[in-house]
Amino acid sequence: MVLRSMRRAIIFPVAILGFAALPSVAQQPAAGNKAVQITGLVGVKANASGNLTLENGSLQFATSGAKVSVPIHSVEDVITDNDSQRVFRGTLGTLTMFAPYGGGRFLSLFRSKTDTLTIQYRDTDGGLHGAIFTMPVGKADPFKKALVSQGAHTTIPVQDDSSGSAAKPDAAKEKKP
Amino acid sequence: MKRILNATTLAVLLLGAHAAPANLHAQAAPPPAKKASAIQVLMIQSDEIKLPAEFQISLYENLIQQLEKQGGFQHVYREGEHNADGVADLVVLHSTVRGFKKGSERARNVTTVAGKTSIDIHCQFTDKDGKSVLERDLNGKVQFFGGNLRATFDFAKKAAKLAHDNFAANSVS
Repeated sequence: MVLRSMRRAIIFPVAILGFAALPSVAQQPAAGNKAVQITGLVGVKANASGNLTLENGSLQFATSGAKVSVPIHSVEDVITDNDSQRVFRGTLGTLTMFAPYGGGRFLSLFRSKTDTLTIQYRDTDGGLHGAIFTMPVGKADPFKKALVSQGAHTTIPVQDDSSGSAAKPDAAKEKKP
Repeated sequence: MKRILNATTLAVLLLGAHAAPANLHAQAAPPPAKKASAIQVLMIQSDEIKLPAEFQISLYENLIQQLEKQGGFQHVYREGEHNADGVADLVVLHSTVRGFKKGSERARNVTTVAGKTSIDIHCQFTDKDGKSVLERDLNGKVQFFGGNLRATFDFAKKAAKLAHDNFAANSVS
């Protein structure tokens, strides 16, 4: 009886781990700037995932249901940072909380690193907006460089590091003064 | 002699008992609220405290969202919006970060009691001329569930309620 419940306790987290890992592995090699908009863009839901691109002098974020465009010249600040998030999040993350024998707590130890990209921009009425995106590690700094080269402003100059940010240690990441 | 002393003590006690609630009432009475048809939210300032950019933006955006959700104002203007210039009864919200402690979502999930994220913000409401009409210290925190940015949502809800209760045209004050 004890053996059976122990076996169940082990199988449950492992099954969830495998189940959740499949889509994330499948998403990784995808090209472009896959990003999640945390908040800020008008007309886009919070935590919407989509594609962040620079086209025709504007920053575009396209999800399955909406496409928002921000002129690059109106971007007043671009800041990158790094963070981490739960591997099991959303509905699945909530469900793991009910896993027996502290399985949910164990699974919450698994976290993936992300880059955050924060922008401040003005709309046509002069109103100040802010938007926060998360993207895979190493994507934010090159994107910021591209934004700044096309006319966006930043309070923190872009570091000239051709090796990219993927291999950069945490301490080398820019921090707001 | 004893009777006089007793009578004096009783009179003083009665006087005190009568005066105390009136005094309390005077302290608890809210200042006359100035109703406003519109509110303008300025970007959160964090000159003294080092606040990550995503927290600053999240505070600002959540504040605007919550003010719009609460209702009571005809317009919620952002910083720099030209349309706000012509509004006579505009209230401007200045927010300054006074304290910030970035916790850990992992610690919260694993231990339940540790890893709290909290932000202390001083909110100042001014009229169009910059004269302060209300000042209050508010706090945003996330103690159990959610990411660190959820503390900004907690603050935004409190600040929006404060603004609604004191300045919104259809508030119940």
